[in-house]
Amino acid sequence: MQCSLEPGASPDGKWGPLVTRKSLMRSGLAALLVAPFTASALVAGRGQESGGSEAESSDRAEGRGATDEEIVLGVSAAFSGPSRGLGTELYRGAMAYFNHVNENGGIEGRRVSLRLYDDGYQPDPCVQNTMRLMLEDKVFSLFGYVGTPTVTRVLPILKKFQDEKIFLFFPFTGAQPQREPPYGEFAFNLRASYNQETAGLVDNLVQVGRRRIAVFYQIDAYGRSGWAGVRAALDKHGERLAGEATYSRGEKFTGSMRKQVEILQGVAPDAVICIGAYAACAAFARDAVDLGLDVPIANLSFVGSENLLKLLTEGQDDAERYTRQLINSQVVPSYEDTSIPAVQEYRDLMARYDPQVPADLVEEEYAPFPHSFGSLEGFLNAKLMGEILRRLGPNPDRAGLEEAVFSIEDFDLGISERVSFGPDRRQGLQSVYHTVVEEGRFVPLDDWGVRFG
Amino acid sequence: MRIRRLFKWTRFGIFAVFGLIVLSTSILCIYTVDTELSAEYEVNTQNIAKTIADSSAGILLNQNLATLQSLVDQFLEVQGIRYIYITSETGEFLAHTFVPGIPEEILESEHSNTAPVERSLPGMGDFIEVGSPILAGVAGTVHVGMDLDVVALKIQRAIGQQVYLISVMLLIAVLASIWFVNLAAKPLGELLAYAVELAKDGENDELGERELLARDDEVGHLARLFLHVSRQGGGRGLPANTSGTE
Repeated sequence: MQCSLEPGASPDGKWGPLVTRKSLMRSGLAALLVAPFTASALVAGRGQESGGSEAESSDRAEGRGATDEEIVLGVSAAFSGPSRGLGTELYRGAMAYFNHVNENGGIEGRRVSLRLYDDGYQPDPCVQNTMRLMLEDKVFSLFGYVGTPTVTRVLPILKKFQDEKIFLFFPFTGAQPQREPPYGEFAFNLRASYNQETAGLVDNLVQVGRRRIAVFYQIDAYGRSGWAGVRAALDKHGERLAGEATYSRGEKFTGSMRKQVEILQGVAPDAVICIGAYAACAAFARDAVDLGLDVPIANLSFVGSENLLKLLTEGQDDAERYTRQLINSQVVPSYEDTSIPAVQEYRDLMARYDPQVPADLVEEEYAPFPHSFGSLEGFLNAKLMGEILRRLGPNPDRAGLEEAVFSIEDFDLGISERVSFGPDRRQGLQSVYHTVVEEGRFVPLDDWGVRFG
Repeated sequence: MRIRRLFKWTRFGIFAVFGLIVLSTSILCIYTVDTELSAEYEVNTQNIAKTIADSSAGILLNQNLATLQSLVDQFLEVQGIRYIYITSETGEFLAHTFVPGIPEEILESEHSNTAPVERSLPGMGDFIEVGSPILAGVAGTVHVGMDLDVVALKIQRAIGQQVYLISVMLLIAVLASIWFVNLAAKPLGELLAYAVELAKDGENDELGERELLARDDEVGHLARLFLHVSRQGGGRGLPANTSGTE
């Protein structure tokens, strides 16, 4: 199935243009070298590189961001590094839906394509990718970014180029900066916020008598966002953070978190809420159990639940030992619940297309999951994006994007919660789900008291 | 070889003078570089703290702590800056960069203090910490820690480069002086050998045909004088071209 989009891309021609950081740097360097001499040739060269026609270049130059054949969305996400699973899963879910759309005639006859760049979950590459997507690729909008430290750095760019009407759609982060002034007006979110996730965790933990809550977090904008959420939620219960420990972004599962565990053991918490990515959070959970910190360990949706579980259980004789205290909050329903129409559709399309990250973007081996919370979120993101693009009509223009989004009211995505947007409502979903590990998989947590009381 | 003894003290004097120059220049250089660079790093750190304080006022008032952390993280990329933390007016830590946790010494310090203070943090190193108030302190305080080891390394490198340059110049000067001394010593050695030969066999005709006698300098004059004295047996008269200095 040909899903995407721009010719001349991946070796199998399937997924659109592939631009790795290496090739980006090479072309960037080349551009710098020749710029003073051949400015006009360079513009033409970019068009050829992206595989676009003259008409396409012309359309994009006019700021439409779409041609008669396709609508290109720009993605900068983690496809390499310790958090590559996050970008990969999100992308797979989104492509499952867009493949389906493209196979069925696209949107108003236009295919939807994703132009992908890898940022490795690092802010600087993400900023560079965004500049390229906006200024050179002239994408229609930005879509499916991964991470708070990355997105937080991109928001000022959107403000700077606000006249271009390039919005960021459905980033894989629940942080506040893209939900609040001064940058909230440049992004649209689908998932619940970290504030909602942490409030859900804190409220339930406090309800079962676990009031001394400590935080283990990634020392960056993401970790701080979750930290602030926990702090605010505890404040409502008249409590303060019992303690905190941190780690640096990019930590691997093989790293030690013993110091962090010892710091938190020193404050004798009733529970620990982790705000991090799967590799570091799995390492923390492992070391916590090994050092005898026997309290519930909660994670936010961003963690990448399946990857976390895989790290904690793979090759373990007594895997349950490391997972029985885990609580993971989710912002989409369980992908196991096929009674939910969108979940059934997601499972069908994942099975049908089984999208893979383009080979040129794969630097390290990663075995994707048939289903995951991340890919389900990506799928829902794409489904809503498709609806927004449809509402733009036969002549899609960025100028009409905001109006199209605000026209989404009580929209049925196929999950129990309906989606609405408006000038003061830039987040589509509000629900948070809690899951625990049973028989090697995440299942809904029905009774906090029984499990953690 | 005996002639070279004549220059032993000259060489020693050259070494001593150049050594003194190198030593005094190096000391002055170390003092100047150390003082200037230390002051510059401290001022830069204060400027960074002030920049963060100025930038974070609005962010803090909106309680947008993720953006605040993002701001702090960007400044951590400045060379030598090892930690940054921002405390509220009540002393609560609102953003910081410590891993795996906030050190005890920092937790127990006076957070509203903005004067430079030297800290030694276990497992982290030695730092000079400067602070800057946010909105005159009513919104909190920014603290920036500059790694003294990095500063010291920078200073050592700067000093090292200068001392290296001076040392290379000393070495070149000493080698040049040795070369010049040898340049002067070599004809004197030949003159001495010639005088010895004259003393042994002054009547030998071959001694009157040496190249040394053709030199148009003091050595040539002396050689001709020695030959003349040797042949005349006591300086009753001198050849016209050995009559004195030029």
